[in-house]
Order: sequence, then structure tokens, then C-alpha cells
Amino acid sequence: MSIEDDEILQGFIEESLEHLADIENDLLAIEEGGADIDVELVNKVFRAAHSIKGGAGFMGLTVIQDLAHAAENVLGLIRSCKLVPNPDIVNVLLLAADELQHLIEDVGNSNSVDITKHTTVLNLIYEGGEAPASAPRPERAVAAALPAAPEPVPEPEREPEAAPEIEDEVIEEMTAESEEETGDDHDIDLAGAVAAENASGARMRKTAPSMQKTDTSIRVTVSLLDQLMNLAGELVLSRNQLLQTITSGDIRNAEAVGQRIDLVTSELQEAIMLTRMQPIGNVFNKFPRVVRDLSKKLGKQIDLTIVGKDVELDKTIIESINDPLTHLVRNSVDHGVESPEDRIKKGKDARGLIVLKAYHAAGQVVIEISDDGKGLDGDMLAEAAVKKGLITSDQAKVMSEKERINLILLPGFSTAKKVTDVSGRGVGMDVVKTNLDQLGGSIEIESEVGKGSTISIKLPLTLAIIPCQIVMTGGERYAIPQVNLEELLRIPASKVKERVERVGDAEVVRLRGNLLPLIRMAEVFEIDPTYYDPVQDEIKPDRRRNIADRRSKATPLFKEEDAPPPVPRSSEQELKRKANERRQSASSALNIVVVSTGAMKYGLIVDRLHDSEEIVIKPLGRHLQQCQGYAGATIMGDGRIALILDVSNIARMAGLTSLDGSERAAELAEAAKEAITKTRDKQALLTFSSSAMEQFGVPLNQVERVEKIKRHDIEEIGGRRVMQYRGGSLPLISIDEVASVMPLDDREDLLVIVFHLAGKDVGLLAIGPIDAIEISADIDDVTLKQPGIMGSAIIGSRTTMLVNIFEIMQISNPQWFEDHAAYAEIAVDEAQAPTILIVEDSNFFRNQVKGYMEEAGFNVLEGEDGRVAWSVLEEQGDIVTMVVTDIEMPNMDGFALTEKIKGDKRFRHLPVIALTTLAAEEDIARGKAVGVDEYHIKLDKERLMESVHRYAKAAMAA
Amino acid sequence: MAEQSKLTKNIIELATFYVGHALCGMDILKVQEINKLMEMTKVPQAPDYMVGILNLRGQIVTIIDLGQKLGLGNVEISNESRNIIINAPGEHVGLLVSRISDVVMADPDRIEPAPANMSGIQGSFFTGVYKTENKLIGILDIKEVLRIESDNLNRGLER
Repeated sequence: MSIEDDEILQGFIEESLEHLADIENDLLAIEEGGADIDVELVNKVFRAAHSIKGGAGFMGLTVIQDLAHAAENVLGLIRSCKLVPNPDIVNVLLLAADELQHLIEDVGNSNSVDITKHTTVLNLIYEGGEAPASAPRPERAVAAALPAAPEPVPEPEREPEAAPEIEDEVIEEMTAESEEETGDDHDIDLAGAVAAENASGARMRKTAPSMQKTDTSIRVTVSLLDQLMNLAGELVLSRNQLLQTITSGDIRNAEAVGQRIDLVTSELQEAIMLTRMQPIGNVFNKFPRVVRDLSKKLGKQIDLTIVGKDVELDKTIIESINDPLTHLVRNSVDHGVESPEDRIKKGKDARGLIVLKAYHAAGQVVIEISDDGKGLDGDMLAEAAVKKGLITSDQAKVMSEKERINLILLPGFSTAKKVTDVSGRGVGMDVVKTNLDQLGGSIEIESEVGKGSTISIKLPLTLAIIPCQIVMTGGERYAIPQVNLEELLRIPASKVKERVERVGDAEVVRLRGNLLPLIRMAEVFEIDPTYYDPVQDEIKPDRRRNIADRRSKATPLFKEEDAPPPVPRSSEQELKRKANERRQSASSALNIVVVSTGAMKYGLIVDRLHDSEEIVIKPLGRHLQQCQGYAGATIMGDGRIALILDVSNIARMAGLTSLDGSERAAELAEAAKEAITKTRDKQALLTFSSSAMEQFGVPLNQVERVEKIKRHDIEEIGGRRVMQYRGGSLPLISIDEVASVMPLDDREDLLVIVFHLAGKDVGLLAIGPIDAIEISADIDDVTLKQPGIMGSAIIGSRTTMLVNIFEIMQISNPQWFEDHAAYAEIAVDEAQAPTILIVEDSNFFRNQVKGYMEEAGFNVLEGEDGRVAWSVLEEQGDIVTMVVTDIEMPNMDGFALTEKIKGDKRFRHLPVIALTTLAAEEDIARGKAVGVDEYHIKLDKERLMESVHRYAKAAMAA
Repeated sequence: MAEQSKLTKNIIELATFYVGHALCGMDILKVQEINKLMEMTKVPQAPDYMVGILNLRGQIVTIIDLGQKLGLGNVEISNESRNIIINAPGEHVGLLVSRISDVVMADPDRIEPAPANMSGIQGSFFTGVYKTENKLIGILDIKEVLRIESDNLNRGLER
């Protein structure tokens, strides 16, 4: 072999590999085109094969030359339209291209490789064609004529490729040289730029072994290099200035120089980053082939759409994303998209679609792999995970759909029912996830059964420099990568008690309705706990252990529940302590960094929050590899070191793995449910006054609006008070007209609470202050009950009378209700009146509803919970025509009762009307699912009665 | 020329230092530098023989308390304590010692095998002892000093 010049050989290899990468996609495009040949495209492939052949000939690589020649012959036929490129031919060409790639990658041994099986097939195709290609081929002679270039330039429209290969030591020379070159677009090899790679951190080092092949050189445009050179010059100038300033001691100038250096360094940093950036197309380009080959093998028809090839990522990330992406794409082909028959059965297009998309979002690169296949079934995944013993069935029950889908990321999880050689060996998604974790990326899966799934991968642009949040604990600074950061939370001292709770032995904080597990950083790292006193600006040791179990406000003295027996203190100390009581001071506030690692989110309690900074990751020494909580270290502006925290490992160290997370989620869900149950039986009230002495309340859901008016707005006409309102007259009424309460205060500013009753608007005159509050159902319906007042409750230490607006209107304007269906009395004698079963645990509400019903002439049966109601039904079920039930009840709730009624053929026909205080969407949906016929809000007498009448009529007609 | 003669005579230079009261030495060619930077960052959860990490001109250097490592108790940080930065494979490691002493020319032939125990230090940390007129220098086995206990190593690899 005559390899005289390593540099030229290297050039040949790189160029050939580039050609081959193009060939693959072009061949696929040619296959797509079929008989309708895109001459330009075929020409391109032809030229590429030809270049390789020429180069190989020049280098004495006979085997490569022969193979390229055979391929070129076939391409020649295609070019001259003498051969139609069917999939078989393209397949052969692709295989040949693969073989060429292997040969070129291992150039040294290429001459001893046997390629006869490729050449025979190619030659068969060639000879099977009608006539040999007539085009004369420029051969070795041309190559020899251009000894400086690694290969001949046979056709004029070729892209400029004759790039000078230059070692990094001669950068200066090189720039000068390249300026002499004709074009600006010449690429040159810059090995020096890769040196920075070594500094890019521990995480990268970990991934290194999994990379198959790493390029040792990188192509950078000359213009970028020029820019780098410029910046380096600037930097040197600035340094000189700085040295000068330091010698002369000119502080003012130092500032200016500092700024200049700041500017230059950031620009330099950016430019150097750019040298490492490569389009993601380098990875994406191989997928058309992967998808084609795989779908062919599996008998599927799949189109692949690639969007965003130009998105650039750090070279290292591009290299390490290759494997995970391949896996995901293969997964989509194998498991995602169904076979054509299945697809047609489901009414989908027989051809499946996989979309590979890359784009920038929020300083990160997002890669999405979506398919329109069968999607992931969360229940099935949960079931499989339980079967494999990865989670318990209890855990599975409390998991959200998203959590279930994310189960696929657990180690040892494979959903494929049969193991294929494509994917599904149980080492799949978890490896993908691990790889991505190492890159500082995250993965998210969204899926809809039958419609397909989308897997989004978020990746940092680069690994070497990352933005971080700096925090302080135990007097040392730590950095938390911004990718993991969700938000910063500060709970002021006065709120700690109410917002931080204990569930089991875990501390949690309520954050916008969700419970967030808390981890004390000092505890996990076994740092002596400290706290930061902002008043004295110093760090002090902290003796407290619990944040949640705090003394109640009533306890006068400092008592630590878990602490060893208190050391008696002198009274002087005691006084001092009290004076410096920290519990209510600013230093007792909690600083929480809310971080997320994939599906899990938790709060890390730190002493202090600092700024966000861009940091350079430096690897930790060997001796620290066993410390799991760190992802590396960085050097801060003051020269000291800050450790970079690995938030997922911290969670593990604190015993908060994702599985524990769901276990804890179960506990939390339980606790949250309890809390909700407590709030459920609350009634939202609008409180107001009529006179300064008495406070009234009315159910908030009955109120339409509250208007502010002046006294002179009220007109007294025909013995009635009205006001002009929205183009009509709004009848006004005050409580004292009906109930024996204090008369309305004679004030200039009045309030009108507008209700909508019996199809009409009516205003209730009132005075402020008004407030909307929630009270528990502890309503006294005896003491203060009178016409117009349904009862009383203690609200904010004041006895509040609850207004029954229906009654008030009925008494003052009885004629309104006469012609309104909802209030019509049942015109039958008592014995035949329909019987309604009212199920409600609160005496107050039960009596209220019972009152309406009896008033309207219905017979009423009562049950105070689902179980009692059921036994009532069992005994007297034959006379019941309808059930009106509360939802939240002890023993058996409304849902369960309804389910039981609807599931029993004796009672299935009974209409069930559910009453709630808060009609939440999901409740309504759940109610509908178990068979609730209608939903009404408690105390909304009008709507309730309307439907009761409707159902009663239907029942009587039947 | 001097180097040449040293080589022919096979004499090695020992950098000697005190760890507590024990006089130790190591081949000076393994020493990158000696400094008195004591601004170390503590690393919670690190092994107890680790003092912390140090910023050495942009490189993170792990500092090992040699006293603790040799079982002599902590080296007290004082005016005289120094970090000996050594070139370990793939990284730099610093050894915190109590005090620096002279550079001693040693004839390798006169280095004797290490006793099982020397000044309360396990013999396995030494490659040998060198006797001068009035002192006994224990020559440290740097590999042994930097070795990470195997179980710890395994734990590290599992990650």
C-alpha cells in the first residue's frame, strides 16, 4: 500500500465519509422517486461515488476503488435512464455504501477485505442493464495531475472541497494562508478547538465509554476562526491594559478595563462555543435509512418527517445523543406504529408517520419524536410494572396517568409482548433515560391510546458552561443547575407553621394546592445545621430539627419536642432568648429551591439563596467520586470552589426515589383527600349587614351580583321600592320587611344584592361590610329560625343569621311564585303524593331540603348517610319515587349510593339528584359515570325543585 | 551535567516533611509544587481523611490530610502547614503536612525495607526507610496513600 502522506489520507477519509453520509439519504430519495428520476440527484450520488473511487485509486486503496467503481457503474445506468431504481437495486447500493463506509473507517486493512459479494451483485445489475454506460470516466490521470488535493475534481459544479489540513500549532500561519484562498467558505480542520473538550466536565467523562467513535477533529469555518483570533488579540490588549492599571494603581481605569475584559471574555466564550456547535442533522440524517430498513423488515409502511436539521448542539451532546435517539426511533417503528392492516382496521391511513423535530425552547434544545401509532396505555404499563414487581399495586392505584406512562423509564421494564431483535430486551428506555440524565437532559413522554405518542427530550446547548443557581448551606456555597430548577420559594416565618406540614415522617409544603416533599440539605449532607441571620449578616448554628412541628402560638416558652432534656438557663439568658426570639423573625423564613428530576419534584431547604451564575463545570477528583450528591465543582468569582449538586442523587440519598415518591404520593394523596373532604362540606357565604348590629349571610351561589347604589337611586312607586337596573325596574326588598330584625340603616351608600328567582331579578337592600367566606356546616337551625331566616352560624366570632331568600320573596311577593312550575304544589292528596328520599349528613341541610319538599306537598323519607338510606330503600323502596342525595357523607358517600341504586334492578328506575356545595367538574363527571341523573348546588332551591317536579311528573305519568 | 552525574550515581532526591512528629519523604520528582493555600472548600460526606478541595489556578485539587490518612490524627492547620501537590494519574492531589523539611540526597542502595510499624504508622504506607546521620526518613508509598479503599471504589463505580 502506498500511503505516503497521512494528511492526505486523513483528508480522503473525512471527505469520503461525508460523501457517504449524503449518498445514503440521496439514495433513499432516488428510491422514493422511482422511475421519475431526478437527474440532479443521481448525478450527485454518481459524482460522490466517483470521487471516492478516484481518491481511493490515488491512494492505492484498490478494494475501495473496485467497490466504488461497481457502484458507480450501476449509478451510471440509472443516470442515463437505462435502469429504473427499484427498492432492490437501491438496497444493493445502500449495502455497498455501508460496506464502503466500513472500509474507509478502517482504511489500513481495507485492501484485505473481501467484497466480492457486493461487486458480484452490482455487476449483475450492471450487466443486466441494456447497455454499458457511455460516459467516459476521468480516472487516475486527473488525480495525479492534482497532487495537492486529496482527490480529483472531475466535474465543475462540485462543491469546493480542497480544504487545507493544518495542525493546531500553526494557527497563525493558517489564517494567513487561508486568506489567500479564493473562497471564505473553506472549512479547515481545527484540532486545537477541541482541546476545550477536555475541560467539559465529569458528566462527560462518565459518558465517554458509551460513545462508539469520537471524532478527534472538527470542521470550523475560517470566518469563525478569524473572529476567535480577533478576540484573542483583544484579550491580550486588555490584559496589557490591566497590568498597566495595576502597576499605576488607577482604580477608576481598572473598572473600565474590567468591563472590557468581561465583554471580551464573554464574546470569546461564545465564539469558542460556536466552534463546538454542530447541526443535529448529523444525527438525524441517518434515520431515514434506519426507519426504511426497519419498517421494511417489520412489514410496516412508515414515513419519516424530519424538521429542524439546522438546530445546533454541542459536539459532545450530538455524539452522545446518537444512541438514545436511535433507540427511540426504533422503538417508535417497532412498538409505536402499527402494521398496515391494524391501521386500516382502526380507520387510520395505512402509512404511519414518525416526526423527528428539533427546535430551541427556553435556552434548551428540544427534540421530539412523535408517531401516530397506538400510543402507550398507562393502565397496561402499570399492570406490567406490578407484575414485574417494580411497583406495588397500591402504588399503581395512586399514580397519575403521566406517572404511569413514565413507568416505562424504570429499569427492567419492557412492554413488548414478544422480544424482537429490534427492541424490547428490557434494557431500553431506562438506558435512554440514564444517558440523557448524564447529559443533563430530561425526557418526557406524552401519549394517547390509539392516537400515538410524543417523546420530548430536552437538552442543554452545551455541557461545558451551564447556568446555575447559587445557594448557601452551612457556610459553603453550592450550585444547582438551572435545568433542574423549577422555582425559588421563600416561606416567611409567620407562614411556616401553616404551610409546612408533616405527612408520616416527611415534611411537605403546600404549593399551589400540591404537596411538595421537602428535603433539608443540611440533613442529607450531614452538615451542621446553620441559619443565616440577615439582621446581623452572619451565619449561626441552628439547633432546631423540625420545621413543621412547631410550637403553637399559645405556648409561652421555647420547648423542643425532640430535643434532649432542656438545659436549665439562667433567667438572664432566658430574657435574652425571648428578646431575640427567632421564630417570628426574618431569619426563620424558609428558603426552598424547588427542583425537578424528570417526573419527581421536591423542595430543597437551604440557608440562603444567592444569584444565578454561569459556571464552568470542573470534574471532582477520584477521592470524591463516592460522594453521590455532587455533579462536579466550579470556581466562583472569588476563587473559592462551590460544589455542584446532583439533585436526583440527593433525592435518592434522602430516600425519595421516584418509587418512594409515588409511595409518598399515596400518603400525600390521602392527606390531600382528607383536606378536601373537610372543605367539601363547607358552604360559601356572602356576609353582609342590614343594620350595624346584625350580620347576615346568604349562600354565595345564589347571589347573581352585588351593586353599590346611592339612597336616592331608590324609587318608591306603587307601594313598592324599585330601582332602575339594566333598562328595567328591579324590585327591592329589605330583610326587615319580612323577618323581625333591625330596620335597614338609613345610609347614603347602600348595597343591593341581586338574586335571580322564579325567572325574575330581585334586589336585597343591605349595607357593608360584605365579605365572602367559607364556613363548615355547623349551622344552628333552631335558635334564631324565623320566617326569612333559615338559621344561624358563628362567623368570625359574630352570630350570623342565614337568610332564606326564597322564603323572603315568597312572603313579600307570593304572586311571583304562583305561576312558576317550580313552586307549584302537587295537586294530589297526601296519600298519593310522590315520596322523596333525602340523604344528607348535615341536619341543617337535610331539614332545609325536607322543608322545601314538604312545602311542595311531597312525602319525605330521610337518611343521614348512604348506608342508612340504603336500608330505608330496602324497607320502603316501593314507595320511593326519587332520591336526592348529598355527595360527601360518612360510611357511604353519594357516589357509592348512586352506584348501588343504579346497580340494583329494583331501584334502577329511580332518578337520583345529587347535591353538592361545590360542583367541581370532575365530580360531575364522576357522578354522571355512576349514574347521577342531575346535579344541583345545595340551597339552590329553585333549580332543585324544578327538577324534582319534572321527575315527579314523569314518575306519576308512568 | 549535574543531572547526568546523579543519574549515573542513581541518587534520588527526597523532599522531606513532618506529619505530626514523623519525618516522611518522597521522591521530589513526583512533587509538582508545595504551597500554603489554605482556603479549602469542605466537602460534606467526603471520607474523613479529606480536608477539602482547593482551587489551584483553575484546577480542582483534592486535599488529603496525610496525618489522618496515616493514622496519626488530624494535621493542624498552622503557619507552617503546607500542601504538597503531587501529580497523580489524571488529576492533582494535595497532601496536607505539618511542616516542610529539607531536600535530602539519598543513595537508593541505602534505603532499607520498611518495618511493620514506624512512629505509629502502618508499614504498608512506606516503601522503605532512609537513615541519615541523625534522622530516620520514612519514604512514602504514594500509590498506597492515594489508593481508595476498594469497597469505596466499588461504590463509586456502581454509579
